[in-house]
Amino acid sequence: MATADVPHVSRVRATEASLRLAFQMFVADPQWLIPSMIAPVVFGLVAFELFQGAGPDFLTYAILGAGMMSMWGQTLYGSGWAIGQDREFGTLEPTVQSPTPYVYVVLGRVLWNVVSGLAGGGIVYLVVLAVAGAPPALPDPLGFVALFLFVMLTLAAVGILFSAAWVYTRYSGFIQNVGEFAFYVGTGCMFPVVILPFWTNPIALVFPPTWALDALRYLAIPGYVGFAWGFWPDLLGAVATTVVYVAVAGAIFRRVELHVLAKGNLSDY
Amino acid sequence: MTNVPAIEVRGLTRVFESRKGFLFREVSRTEALRGLDLTVEPEAIFGLLGPNGAGKTTLVKILSTLLLPSTGTALVLGHDVVEESAWLRPRIGLVLGGERGLYNRINARDNLRYFADLYGIPPHEREHRIDEVLERVGLEGAADRRVEEYSRGMKQKLHIARGILHRPQVLFLDEPTIGLDPKSARETRKLVRSLVSDGVTIFLTTHYMFEAEELCPEIAVMSKGRIVARDTVAGLRQLVGGDRTLEAEAYGFEDREVDAIRHLPGVSKVVSEEYGPRTRLTVRLRSLETTPDQVVATLPGHPELAVRERRTSLEDVYLDLVEEEAP
Amino acid sequence: MLAHAGTYRTENRVSFWRTFWSNAVIAPRTTLGFMRIDFVLGTIFIIPLMQMVFFVFVVQVSGGGPSEIAFTALGNAVSTVTYSSIFSVCQTTDSEKQQGTMEHLLVSPANRLALYFGRGLLPILISLATVSVGIAYATFLFGVAIPLSAVPTLAVSVVLTAFAMVGFGLLLGGVALYLRTSIILGNIFLFIGLLLSGVNFPTSQLPPVVAWIGYGFPLTWGLAAIRASVAGDPWGTIGLLWGLVVASAIASFGCAIGLWEYFERRALATGSIAKF
Repeated sequence: MATADVPHVSRVRATEASLRLAFQMFVADPQWLIPSMIAPVVFGLVAFELFQGAGPDFLTYAILGAGMMSMWGQTLYGSGWAIGQDREFGTLEPTVQSPTPYVYVVLGRVLWNVVSGLAGGGIVYLVVLAVAGAPPALPDPLGFVALFLFVMLTLAAVGILFSAAWVYTRYSGFIQNVGEFAFYVGTGCMFPVVILPFWTNPIALVFPPTWALDALRYLAIPGYVGFAWGFWPDLLGAVATTVVYVAVAGAIFRRVELHVLAKGNLSDY
Repeated sequence: MTNVPAIEVRGLTRVFESRKGFLFREVSRTEALRGLDLTVEPEAIFGLLGPNGAGKTTLVKILSTLLLPSTGTALVLGHDVVEESAWLRPRIGLVLGGERGLYNRINARDNLRYFADLYGIPPHEREHRIDEVLERVGLEGAADRRVEEYSRGMKQKLHIARGILHRPQVLFLDEPTIGLDPKSARETRKLVRSLVSDGVTIFLTTHYMFEAEELCPEIAVMSKGRIVARDTVAGLRQLVGGDRTLEAEAYGFEDREVDAIRHLPGVSKVVSEEYGPRTRLTVRLRSLETTPDQVVATLPGHPELAVRERRTSLEDVYLDLVEEEAP
Repeated sequence: MLAHAGTYRTENRVSFWRTFWSNAVIAPRTTLGFMRIDFVLGTIFIIPLMQMVFFVFVVQVSGGGPSEIAFTALGNAVSTVTYSSIFSVCQTTDSEKQQGTMEHLLVSPANRLALYFGRGLLPILISLATVSVGIAYATFLFGVAIPLSAVPTLAVSVVLTAFAMVGFGLLLGGVALYLRTSIILGNIFLFIGLLLSGVNFPTSQLPPVVAWIGYGFPLTWGLAAIRASVAGDPWGTIGLLWGLVVASAIASFGCAIGLWEYFERRALATGSIAKF
């Protein structure tokens, strides 16, 4: 036989390869940064315009909300589109056919989008800041930055799980388009979730970013009134839901793969 | 050589369903494979011929773990393609070819680096291995060009390079020379032969008869989801009526004349085809008894009659088998 | 010559209406899958509602009263026209490129005017439905009062807005011939409309230079006409706004045709027609 044994497939290396490929694809077509930036910058400016005169904390609201939407766009949309692109390019088949479990390929794409999402959040911050003229006062800047990074991870967890939909069907882009504003509403990007009708709260709490963002506001806005339980339970909820998302993603990808192999639609786009 | 067949397929079926409509869903079913049995011995080239829609690519996708069968079993290297896909994937290679299936915006080397990492090729070996396969397919001079700038033939070569990058034990080649110029196609066939001498089992589908004849000691012909014949080229020739073929051409033949040809010694099959005003009788012969002169003597009154003898080609065999299957 | 006996003579003109029809009905089915009825229903019924709910809550939390909420609800109801008019038209161009059919389209002798107008027909119809449903949401869920007497002028405003916006979408689709993907342009104008076209606050609140950019978009005038119709403004005001919408529609369609021809040449010259 040609090869008596096969090399060990390192999942870390596969993830790194996927991240590198996402970066290379981005460099080859960097204009993709524009759409993922434009929406949050616009939302940030709209929010700033609407919030003007509603108190100093609303600048933080506008920046946080728009930054969150930017990161959502990059992390979740970007990850989904990356899988969608694999479908369009016809590379989903050879990638799935490789010995690397596809979830690690997705993880690599998501990690790249976390990095670019951070850049997006930074751009939103700078744009809104330029319009506002002065930065918002943060009581605990270091804690804020650490928590901000954690918010990215919660989004990445959602991104990994939702990417399964892109493997599952070529129509997931449409589902994501329809769900975009629903997610913004549900996770309370621009307003506290508690102002939504009570029956929507359990749905909102299913998303890790809802918890993380509420915690972030508790940290950044003195006197913030979000969920009654306060900062630490928020943080705990964010960690717990993130762990659940990652675990479910790990379990679901093989099932999704088997489903698409049964349907035979891996090369559809 | 081991005793385990490289590929073993039993009662394999695959049904595709497609749905139309919103309120009133209409489901249509297509049987791509209908109870297929097949065994392929290791370290050889096995050729699969068949018309478009015969089920060749469906079979290749099932064997390469990209598609689940509806019923039946398929083993590659003795391992089930459904239950043991994780074991199989690093040991098999797949070349589907075509314009899609590559990252067009990046160069060939980066495409291969990506897949080398997904296949776990050791980091210290990776660059050397990439150079090796690029050279083997003749792309060493274009390794750093974006794939979108490649011709169709170059993309095909890159597909092959990716397929052999991780040194698979079984390589599935789905029409590997399609789109290649004659020189590149010849080089690809040479490459395929050299892979076999390295101990790789090749499962090749092709439309090109000469390619199958040149490469494959054993050939199967597939039609409508079934294997309709399987043998060596010589065996297949006998199967469709013999090694010799005579062609007689004139401005039309009467039925009694065709019957007379049919009753000549050693004639196994006569096919009549019209080309504008002319008619061609293709006569398949099992033995050396009947000569072209005898055919001329059997068809008097045709001053324009032209008779020539040739060896029965694989194309004749293929067309005969596929036509026999046609409704 | 026998070989040419069956070919069509080059002076035979491809029928305008056949080109129009095949581009209006067949092209969207092949390139977008957006003839899937569930997708169309989602675009019409779900996206506008979610967008409106989002911005209405933002207004509410910023202390806005019923009139601000109604303003925002109506603005977003109308702005959702961009999904079907701009986004889907751009997506059609992208799909043509990805499927490799764009080159065949461009070498065909089809009348370009019929081709582009045909491509706009379905988006116009979906846009009309989207805005109508959005306005219904605004009325029944967010307290936008529309007197019965305003319905005829409102209907005209909606039709003109949809028409103008599809023209604008085709214009962007022309640029997309040259770019790798036009979804990017679609995204940009989808969201810029929210900021510059008076969707959530009057365009006049913006700094003058930015406001003037907003006045260049058909959505700004379409939305203004719709607001004027709902408010029962005098005929003179509504008529002037209709005129501006029609002017922006004509300008958009005209520029679209010009741009398609220009970028068709550029794309063929640079080979970008096959890149995506």
